[in-house]
Amino acid sequence: MRRFLIIVVVLLAVGVGAYFFLNRTDPDDGTAPVLAGAPTNADPVARGEYLTTAADCVACHTSHDGGKPFAGGLAFKLPFGTIYSSNITPDKETGIGTWTDDEFVRAVREGIRKDGKHLYPAFPYTAYTQLSRADVLAIKAYLFSLPPVHQPEKPNELGFPFNQRWAMGFWNAAFFRSQRFQADASRSPEWNAGAYLGGPLGHCAECHTPRNFGFALKHGEALAGEVVQGWRAYNITSDPTHGIGKWSDEALTQYLRTGHAEGHASANGPMGEAIAYSLQHWKPEDTAALVTWLRTVPAREGDDPIVVDAAPKAMVASSAVAPGGDDGKADAEGLRLFEGACASCHQWNGAGQQTAYAALAGTRGVNDPKGANVTEAILEGVKMRIGDNDVYMPAFGHAYSDTEVAALANYVIRHFGGKQGEVTPADVAKRRAE
Amino acid sequence: MVTLRVNGEDRQVDVPPDMPLLWVLRDVIGLTGTKFGCGIAQCGACTVHLDNQPVRSCQLPVSAIGDRAITTIEAIGQTPEGAKVQQAWLAVDVVQCGYCQSGQIMAAAALLARVPNPTDRDIDTAMSGNICRCATYVRIREAIKQAATGQQHGLQVVVDGSAA
Repeated sequence: MRRFLIIVVVLLAVGVGAYFFLNRTDPDDGTAPVLAGAPTNADPVARGEYLTTAADCVACHTSHDGGKPFAGGLAFKLPFGTIYSSNITPDKETGIGTWTDDEFVRAVREGIRKDGKHLYPAFPYTAYTQLSRADVLAIKAYLFSLPPVHQPEKPNELGFPFNQRWAMGFWNAAFFRSQRFQADASRSPEWNAGAYLGGPLGHCAECHTPRNFGFALKHGEALAGEVVQGWRAYNITSDPTHGIGKWSDEALTQYLRTGHAEGHASANGPMGEAIAYSLQHWKPEDTAALVTWLRTVPAREGDDPIVVDAAPKAMVASSAVAPGGDDGKADAEGLRLFEGACASCHQWNGAGQQTAYAALAGTRGVNDPKGANVTEAILEGVKMRIGDNDVYMPAFGHAYSDTEVAALANYVIRHFGGKQGEVTPADVAKRRAE
Repeated sequence: MVTLRVNGEDRQVDVPPDMPLLWVLRDVIGLTGTKFGCGIAQCGACTVHLDNQPVRSCQLPVSAIGDRAITTIEAIGQTPEGAKVQQAWLAVDVVQCGYCQSGQIMAAAALLARVPNPTDRDIDTAMSGNICRCATYVRIREAIKQAATGQQHGLQVVVDGSAA
């Protein structure tokens, strides 16, 4: 009995020790690479504005139904419930107006808010932990220069045990390490800037890296692609077939700065937001740094790899204004919908008119048999402001039934991707609900 | 300042780069034959030609046009196909309320320039993006066939004395 007690006590001590060891805070303030858009000698508020834009804080901390910027309230619908983003304006009651520097730095880099409770990693402290203290405080200086917005936080809708914030301490022990960015001396300053921009700051991995059973990033599968809230964040590794290995530097740069790369992709959904709010505003040198780093991301195939067919039979047999080579019987319903609502902009040969963003040829969206982003685009449309122009596609969710959306999505996948689409009316219904 | 080539004339317009062509045509240049319908490129009422291709002018930012030639309903009658379509339109008396007809005629003229003798399927494909709330689709199809063949088909106006 006594021996048993000793074993229990020892195990408890080891457990508690491990918990605190794994939850330890990296005492290092951290050093960030020099970014073209945020020179170290610049005014902290101006630096903070650029860093806040680069980190795209506004995209998540603003509700989509006309909410004030940074006032929070955006819903994150996750498999275990809904989390709402918080108000990060300097309002003293409902925002972060009373937070000290240390409290803000701890929240951003350790995921622990002012009252000592754990944040959920929907807020990517897992990435921000690598930011330098100087950068985090510059972001704070910028946020504190904004007008305070009085907007109480929406309570999360999480069931037990997910509503127990203390339990995140165990999640952190398993999946999170507090650590600052470590520059790689064997790489160029540009590469290191790109690694910092794409990693801790831009947190690409939060959407583009597959997640494990505990909803943490699978670092061994970094940037190999994942589906987030119905949208597929594509494989952005250097894999030539499934990733972006074959894209030219120009194409990658064009995509990151405008949301469109000729013959490759047009951004929409969450990536459209990332381009519109963040990436199009980067200094060109910083975009170039990001491209330099992306080029070195190890090639990975990822789940449900997409193989782009840039010249499928039916698309090639079509002209800009007339279809050719479709399988009349299988495609009749989708074709009928496409000719009425889609062809005038997208065109039958995939070239697209009205806007270059309407080009479908060669995109991964139409080459994904699961049709995640084609379905989302049909349901939600596109609305983003890039440079001096609006990029717009109407939403058809209210106009078409689930059966029609599925038929149209599968037609688009077959005609422009040369593949058998797998979208079912039930999938569409699920997407609508999300 | 943007220079647009409209119906064969160069027009200098001082407009923001994101202004859709339809606004420039109607409100700035004063060519009001092209109509505003849905505003989201779904009804076809605003159809004009850019280098002889039909486009929806309500969703075409003026900055995306470049030096491509714009043709509107006011000048389509100067092309052989446009003239034939307009004559057939009158002969068949296609129009009911008339709001969509500028766009219908522009789409039909583009079709005939490409396919001189279109089948029903060709007509459906080319015209189904142009909506007619009066549902004159049967007459639209007849007029396109008449414009193509020069022969009178089933639907003629009674005063013409040639009703089938």
